[in-house]
Amino acid sequence: MSSDLAVSIAVSAIAYGTPLVLAGLGELLAERSGVLNLGVEGMMLMGAVTAFFASQMLPGPGWAVLILALAAAAAAGAAMALIHAFLSITVRVNQIVSGLALTIFAGTIGLSSYAGQVWGIGGQHGLHQLSRLDVLGLSDVPVVGPILFNQDAMVYLSWGLVALVSYYLYRTRFGLYLRAVGESPRSADAMGINVSAYRYVHTVLGGALAGIGGAYFTLAIAPIWTDGLTAGAGWIAIALVIFAFWRPDLLLVGAYLFGALSSLGFTLQANGVQLPSELFSSLPYVMTVVVLAAASTTLARRRIGTPAALGVPYVREEG
Amino acid sequence: MISIERSLVTPRWQRVALPVASLAIAAILAGIVLAASGHDPLATYQQIYEASFTSTGALTATFIYATPLLFTGLCVALAFRMRVWNIGGEGQLYMGAVGAAGVGLALGGWPQPLLIAMMMVGGAVAGMLWAMIPGLLRAYLHTNEILTSLMLNYVAGLLMYYLIYDSASFWRDTTSASALVFPQGKYLLPAADWPGIVIGSFTLPFGFAAGIVLAVLLLALIRFTRFGFEMRVMGDSPAAATYAGMSTRRKIVTVMALSGGLAGLGGASQIGDFGHVLDPRGLQQAGYGYTGIVVAALALYNPLAVVIVSILIGALTNAGFALQGPLFPIGLVGTMEGIILFSVLGGEFLGRYRIRFGRAPAPAIAADEESGIP
Amino acid sequence: MDIRADGLTAASAEAATTGSPPAVAALGVTKRFAGGVVANDRVTFEARRGEVHALLGENGAGKTTLCNILTGMYRPDEGEVRVDGKPIRLHSPHEAQAAGIFMVHQHLSLVDSLTVAENIVLGWSRQGGLSFSSRTVEAEIDEIASRYQMAVDPRARIWQLSLGERQRVDILKALYRGASILILDEPTTVLTPSEIEQLFSSVREMVAGGRTVIFISHKLPEVFAIADRTTILRRGRSMSTLEIGETDARQLARLMVGHEMSLDVPRRASTEAAAPAAEPRSVLDLDAVSVQGDFGTQALREVSLTVRAGEVLGIAGVSGNGQRELAEVIAGLRPATGGAIRVDGEKLVSGDARDAIRRGVAYIPEDRMGTGVSPNLSVAENLILKSYRRDSPHAGPILLMRQAEAQATALMARFDIRAPGPRTLVRQLSGGNVQKVVLARELSSDPRLVVAASPTRGLDVGATEYVRNVLLDAARRGAGVLLISEDLDEIIELSNRIAVLYGGRVVGVMDSADATYEQLGLLMAGAAS
Repeated sequence: MSSDLAVSIAVSAIAYGTPLVLAGLGELLAERSGVLNLGVEGMMLMGAVTAFFASQMLPGPGWAVLILALAAAAAAGAAMALIHAFLSITVRVNQIVSGLALTIFAGTIGLSSYAGQVWGIGGQHGLHQLSRLDVLGLSDVPVVGPILFNQDAMVYLSWGLVALVSYYLYRTRFGLYLRAVGESPRSADAMGINVSAYRYVHTVLGGALAGIGGAYFTLAIAPIWTDGLTAGAGWIAIALVIFAFWRPDLLLVGAYLFGALSSLGFTLQANGVQLPSELFSSLPYVMTVVVLAAASTTLARRRIGTPAALGVPYVREEG
Repeated sequence: MISIERSLVTPRWQRVALPVASLAIAAILAGIVLAASGHDPLATYQQIYEASFTSTGALTATFIYATPLLFTGLCVALAFRMRVWNIGGEGQLYMGAVGAAGVGLALGGWPQPLLIAMMMVGGAVAGMLWAMIPGLLRAYLHTNEILTSLMLNYVAGLLMYYLIYDSASFWRDTTSASALVFPQGKYLLPAADWPGIVIGSFTLPFGFAAGIVLAVLLLALIRFTRFGFEMRVMGDSPAAATYAGMSTRRKIVTVMALSGGLAGLGGASQIGDFGHVLDPRGLQQAGYGYTGIVVAALALYNPLAVVIVSILIGALTNAGFALQGPLFPIGLVGTMEGIILFSVLGGEFLGRYRIRFGRAPAPAIAADEESGIP
Repeated sequence: MDIRADGLTAASAEAATTGSPPAVAALGVTKRFAGGVVANDRVTFEARRGEVHALLGENGAGKTTLCNILTGMYRPDEGEVRVDGKPIRLHSPHEAQAAGIFMVHQHLSLVDSLTVAENIVLGWSRQGGLSFSSRTVEAEIDEIASRYQMAVDPRARIWQLSLGERQRVDILKALYRGASILILDEPTTVLTPSEIEQLFSSVREMVAGGRTVIFISHKLPEVFAIADRTTILRRGRSMSTLEIGETDARQLARLMVGHEMSLDVPRRASTEAAAPAAEPRSVLDLDAVSVQGDFGTQALREVSLTVRAGEVLGIAGVSGNGQRELAEVIAGLRPATGGAIRVDGEKLVSGDARDAIRRGVAYIPEDRMGTGVSPNLSVAENLILKSYRRDSPHAGPILLMRQAEAQATALMARFDIRAPGPRTLVRQLSGGNVQKVVLARELSSDPRLVVAASPTRGLDVGATEYVRNVLLDAARRGAGVLLISEDLDEIIELSNRIAVLYGGRVVGVMDSADATYEQLGLLMAGAAS
């Protein structure tokens, strides 16, 4: 495979993967606290439509508008997540149902579409878009240049966030407490950690990141808004978190891998290899199932690290 | 004196009043959303009602949307009752569509009743087998079925895409004029059309009628058979089930299989009742499997209630698409559905508490709360 | 809180050296629970600095409640708690910990997938601040661990550790946070003999530095090995505080179980069940049965027992000595790792509950709500929980609920189950009635063997009487009854013979008529007479 081809696959993988990384990080945090949020698609759509609206409406220099638009997207996603958090943590309904309700509420024929209609932004051309930066003037360096030094701000943001979340999880006290809450809420509670608070905060944070991930669609990928723009990216983000076994570093790799695999299929076909692209695209999911099955023996499970309390509401027994 | 206390027992009147109150609250909240964006709530509700039920062809259209939801709703109602979290209905429905389409295409010349029966079998079996993967993994390896059944949804979707858009498979139409322009599936022969039941100006899809029968059978299974009894015990108290010598593993696999079979039938119905062709894009966009979970939850996992709720959600969806236009944004459908769901789910919160009028007597205490174990 | 390297606060270290008030004391502490249970009745207790103080008593004596009060989990209804002579009101475990009082429970709450170091700093770290440098923590842990001879690898994950090592982590957690008063709740239950020795030397190190260790136990050999003084609790009252050097096992046992051989507890079994002599055939035979416990420990070690038709064999012993596993292995809920179980001479399939049920083994579990019934199902449904498989009219796939309900109504009358009707959900019943449902189900099938585990726990007087009568009745009609109970009075009252379980072994079997409280107390506490 020529290096040009490799580079173009890498670049498109990054474009494909960036919203996945952002939304995936959010879902990773929520699930690490024990809350499964299947409403990612809805939250991303809300982020996308809100960001677009904000970028159309707000006056001012481009960079300021974009930052505010991202903030608006984060707020929209967070608000959505708060509903799910309340239902899952306080009311303690089935988290699967609550998350799906959120996806329906905010999804393709839901609030995001409604907002788009009410705000009248359908068909408009986006005024502000993120542009590719030329970091340190190195974008012309062969191979690495276009991949590493010629991306837009949100790509760099996503890399920064992966590092930040990794540091948070494994090197700070609060990240440690978070891991305890997701693994064994009873022990965490016994040690004085407020399980509810951790779950709320991280679920809402997850929503904010999903909102930002959705904003990538309207602020970077294409300067338009249509219903259901994210086309299932939210669902892929959920799968990605599981594939990455709740680790931020694997999440980054996985997001790009998912993208690379889908374009790899087409590329191979173009070069005469008759393997269906869907085969490649399905590999990550099949692999995840296999690893989940293999990891289910108690010993392995502890190494792999499904947050043991994922999806289970926590009730403190009164003394 | 009115006091609110936590209670183990929800009095009868509250059990009925609560969902009704939740729906009323939902209507009010949705009304607020409507009013805030310049729509007249009452007029809108009127429009929805007409577009779902009373205007020409409305009822038939409602049932078109309701039918797949009936199947996926039953799929989830069965599984969730036993605390087997099958969220793979989406993929199981896809596989059912693939299976039924395949059978329908292959056995095209067969006499109609037999052909339809075989299509149903094909769809159900495909869905069953697909569901048995997470089922077996959970039963024997204790793998989390939420995660595995979810993953398989993606795989099933990709498989469908492959069959129609990316291969020269049996399902794909490679000859007709339109197919040369854009990939599509082979249409089934008219003999494979499932006969709708005409009642006046309204046509009840065959699939829905079959679904009603299944709902009744399911209820009977849960309430009146040994199998259902074991299911209920396992769902209520796995420890008591083990104590009573019940075999959990086989039951999990069986329930998953039945659940997947139901979703698979939903896929078969999509082929036989409606599209008559395997349409991956359409099925993926519709998301019947996931909506089915919500339908089942609203129905409190009662099969007969699933019938009703599937009609209601189908009605709302139908109205949304029918009325869609500048005066009636399609986004209202999801928003209202979401508000209904949140209200009903949130209403559960209140259901755990009991309003007591007068002096509060000591409630019945469960055995393990009685003694303070030193 | 300023904590020195060895984990003590400056204040407590100083106090240890001067002649000073007791480290911790409970004065006249009373604690009542719902249902009229008085767990602590004007208990007076004090422990000095630099001593190992054993808190002795059977289950139900009030030891854990007292310690829960000392650690702020419960608030006393009367009386006060003092630390270093000053009265203190503790509203939460955190306030207790701030005062230096820590407890290591029997059921450890550690997070399996995290490391030792991570578990120790969970919720509180000496460093404060945002980031968490594992290296510093590991060094601190190494220091404490080596000082008190509790070697453990701070980087190891909890799931990799043995139970003894996990307990060490729990203790290190307390020491790391500056525990000056450490309460250990039955710590030796999960330890091997060499681990017990290690624990004891660690404890000696701890008190040498001025700490106080309160050691909850029911095992006399250990108490004599490690304690300086001991306070005995019985039925919620504090009986006496003694210097270890000035007492012996007999005296302690007597204080633990109470009165001398008593004439006031009626021995019902021996007079009412004349059957045993006439029918010596055995219903249940345990032949060197060994069973593994939940965490890899050996719960039963080559236990051999016999229960004859028509007799009641009482299993005495403090809970945690293998009773639960004994009941479960006979009922087929737990596999045996060695030996054989025979009912009516024929082997039971190990770990197969269905086989046990089919062979006529009835089991009345200790946890009636959690295991014995399906709470959200009706009385009628619970009554057929085991019989639905074989009895007609349930032989076919269809469950004939109407017949089941009719039978249920009859059973409800026969067993005095007070409920509006057979369709009432079991979770709406009172404790006594739930137990009656369990009894009705288990006994109406005319079982060969009845295994009853703590059958009257938590029940009121009337229900207790009823249950005991029903069990005796079952014996009279020819079943063998294995009665496992922590209530010694109950055992003596109902049993023909008594066996004592200690440390997973049967340490004594005797006719009930020959048993004395003192003898039983000694056996239960591990001091062979």
